[in-house]
Amino acid sequence: MPATRASAAMDRTYRRMLVPASLAVGIFAITPLLGMLALSFTDFHLVRGWSGEIGIQNFVRLFEDRRFISSIYIMMALSVFGVLAQVVLGTAIAVGLDKIVGRWRFARGIFVVPFAVPHVAVALIWLSLFTPTLSPINAFFAVFGIEVPALLTTQTGAITAIVIADTWATYPFVMLIVLAALQGISPDLDEAAALDGATRVKAFFRITLPLLYPTLLMVALFRFIETLKHFPLIFVMTSGGPGRATQATNYYAYVQTFQNSNVAYGASIAVFLFLFAAAISFYIAKANARLSDA
Amino acid sequence: MIKTTHGALSAMLLLGSTALAPIAANAQDREVNVLLFSMPSTRGLAALADDFEAETGITANIDVVGQDVFESRITLSFTGGARDIDVVHTPVIQVQRWVEAGWLEPVTDTVEGLEDKDDILSGPLEAYQVNGDYYGLPFFAETGLMAYRKDLLDAAGVEAPETWDEMLEVAKAVDSDETAAIAMRVAPGQGFNMFVFPMLMRAYGGKFFADYPDDMTPALDSPENLEALNTYITLMNDYGPQGIGNFNFPEVVAALQNGQAAMTVDGTSIVSQAVDPAASQFADEFVLALPPGGPAGRSPAIAVHGLGIPAGSENAETAAEFIKWATSTETLTKLAINEAFPDFTRASVAENAEVQAKYAEVQEDFLDLRIEALNLAIGHYRPLIPTWPEIGAAIGENVNAAVNGQMSPEEALEAAQEEMEIILSY
Amino acid sequence: MRDTSTAFRVKKAFGYAMMLTFLAFSLLPVIWVVLLSMRPPTALFEPIWESPGAWTLDNIRSIARSDFPAALLNSFITAGSSTLLAMLIGVPGAFALSKRRSSNKFFASWLLLLLRMAPPVGFVIPLFLVYVRVGLIDTYVGLIFAYTSLTLPFVVWSMWTSFNQIPDELIEAGLMDGASLGRVLWRIVIPAARPGLVAAGVLSFLLAWNDFFFSLIITRSDTTTAPVAVMNFVSYASVDWGAIAVASIALTLPIVPIIVLANKYIVQSLGGAVKG
Repeated sequence: MPATRASAAMDRTYRRMLVPASLAVGIFAITPLLGMLALSFTDFHLVRGWSGEIGIQNFVRLFEDRRFISSIYIMMALSVFGVLAQVVLGTAIAVGLDKIVGRWRFARGIFVVPFAVPHVAVALIWLSLFTPTLSPINAFFAVFGIEVPALLTTQTGAITAIVIADTWATYPFVMLIVLAALQGISPDLDEAAALDGATRVKAFFRITLPLLYPTLLMVALFRFIETLKHFPLIFVMTSGGPGRATQATNYYAYVQTFQNSNVAYGASIAVFLFLFAAAISFYIAKANARLSDA
Repeated sequence: MIKTTHGALSAMLLLGSTALAPIAANAQDREVNVLLFSMPSTRGLAALADDFEAETGITANIDVVGQDVFESRITLSFTGGARDIDVVHTPVIQVQRWVEAGWLEPVTDTVEGLEDKDDILSGPLEAYQVNGDYYGLPFFAETGLMAYRKDLLDAAGVEAPETWDEMLEVAKAVDSDETAAIAMRVAPGQGFNMFVFPMLMRAYGGKFFADYPDDMTPALDSPENLEALNTYITLMNDYGPQGIGNFNFPEVVAALQNGQAAMTVDGTSIVSQAVDPAASQFADEFVLALPPGGPAGRSPAIAVHGLGIPAGSENAETAAEFIKWATSTETLTKLAINEAFPDFTRASVAENAEVQAKYAEVQEDFLDLRIEALNLAIGHYRPLIPTWPEIGAAIGENVNAAVNGQMSPEEALEAAQEEMEIILSY
Repeated sequence: MRDTSTAFRVKKAFGYAMMLTFLAFSLLPVIWVVLLSMRPPTALFEPIWESPGAWTLDNIRSIARSDFPAALLNSFITAGSSTLLAMLIGVPGAFALSKRRSSNKFFASWLLLLLRMAPPVGFVIPLFLVYVRVGLIDTYVGLIFAYTSLTLPFVVWSMWTSFNQIPDELIEAGLMDGASLGRVLWRIVIPAARPGLVAAGVLSFLLAWNDFFFSLIITRSDTTTAPVAVMNFVSYASVDWGAIAVASIALTLPIVPIIVLANKYIVQSLGGAVKG
């Protein structure tokens, strides 16, 4: 059969096309990861060097380290609240925009603008908005004699501040994806529901939302992993403070590695984070495979 | 395992790098690469680079980066051999650590060869001496002073405080809805709140170690330190401006200049901005004085910055020339005149008529006050040990958490003590 | 179905009010940073209505004189090259992954995701140690390679899903007609996958453009990128808010037209990416 010979030839071609990508991924991405793993079993310190010892002492230390344990709680707070806010806001705006057609379509472009602002700039802009002496928010409320609390001086406040800044910068990502998904949902469904006597709000919750569910789940998971890697927002807005109230795990790994020179210990924290992200991406890949098959 | 991954990866990367390496400024004979972090006097120094070239014919490529960026990069640069840096900004609190790691080149010959070595303030200079060798020359010595609004203190009918206990009473009397009584740095960091807080600690008789440098047992959880911390917390939370828990240098300065705070006890570079007529709305009302003391006397803060040479520098001679120029009477005098801060490190600068006139205009005895405070300051205000940067950061974070109410003062000191023990044990 | 009852109008008004609030939330910070960029330092800490006349272009001038423009150029060079590299290597790989019959697809997709998720903090130290040995610190090549570790997995992952949407029959039909695979790719596959290509290119450029951490660690003065250069305006003694505002705008401006123009493609492609 010519078809089988052709497909065997195709397979060879495909394999050749895969070679550069596999090599590059191997060199640029996998090798440093293996290096990270290797470092985590040493006692390499930037000032003191490596004694030659190898062992699991870093991982033992992890679970005795109160700062590490509390960094996990902080990370989870930032991620859970951040993702919730982004998904709710992004979906709400997408649903609103989906209804807007014609002349006002350009509004879509405006809502995307924060997406274009680099994270460092996002952090600096919101830092200025949360600095009481500088912020127009404080100046505005001061006119009415209202004192806006300084968010960055309490743990709840500082976490809220980071969540707000993160939400501002990333809801457009959620919005874009939900918009795309909404376009795939037939408007007939809404009308059918309306005919049944359901209100639009009910129709949304009963029909649109369940259809959006797979999309929302994927977006939420993606965002969740991204939020685990928060760095510029914390580095610029709070430097981990007040006290250590916003030292999330990724930031704590930075502190140990770069401020305290404990490279090996920092690497073991990174390995922990990586395993955590690996578990979530395993779930995403599974869900994705299921959705692709369906 | 690391070795093999290195090898494989290195080989791969080399292939690409040879073809595409960027056009590095190929080191001419007479060039010196200087890495500084941004503060008013380093920016002032960078602005004088042309003078250096005119005098010596050496081009100085002065790179002034943000402090956060500097701190993230410098350790790594040293680890990598720092071949690209000839002169490095060397804060005194890092010297011990860098010398222990073998990252700094001794500059003893340069220092001993100076004809006017005695002119350099001895405290700041000696701080660069480790095991008999000098590892840098100071260009900046900042000490702690108090600034207070005379008009507001007079209106409240109180005198400037001489001790921290008096400060509590004065603050209570002066504090009003429009103007908070006192602003100091609270942001965590060995160079932020741990620059100011030890002034209280030491005034109350508190210490970091049982008997530095003979008995290095951590001694943070003492009743003296607790008293100091309680005073600090009360001052900041009850009589400080809104948001004080996060205040760093710029916020303290802004609060003083805009009339949001009546007093501060902080570094000269902060207090001199309160009295700078070009920037402060209340320059005329502020009066400078020595920081308050306590049962154990007065202990003004001290921070010294200098210039060092990374170990193995191929340009050590040119680098030494730059350092000599940057710390010379002439250059320091220019800085004292161009910038708003009298943080020079040579006695002769204070004899310059223009410098005298400039600071006398601010306050008759400004320069004398500064010298008095420097003389009162103890060299190991912040302990001169390799682990201090890490220890200072840990204490600073706990102190900040206590001010912000995340833990009690007792808990904060206990936690700091414990962390100090852990850091020293590794 | 036209409903004109009062209840409906109230609901509609409520809907618009909500959208306007959201719009304010997204735009006010942008407007604020534009105002901030034109305030002189003396008026910085006053409410704008107290000194409505205080405006200056000094901040822009001081940025133009600083090292920031050079850093912006570095950002362009490195983010652009890395995106190009990732596309050149990644697109054929993604195509093969999508069309080849293989049982290891699940593993490949998980691996790609995993690489996108890896925390750079741990990643960067091995990279740094190697770079020091081979002299890649503070070079364009070093930074481009580092960025490729971010952009390549992303490009492969997102193009893979884009190619999945192109029916195999289309390609087979082309091949049956006697066209070479290269021709089929060029004439049929690439045009059909255009939204995906644009989206992957734009988003991977953003990924590299946004980077702060890699640049912080492996660049020095020669190749520092703009996000790190902004931080040089935050000094020990003062925060130069005017300069920061100008720099933030300069960092964002090149991206806005790209995003707004590619908006449509991103929506199409992301819709596909999530549904698979």
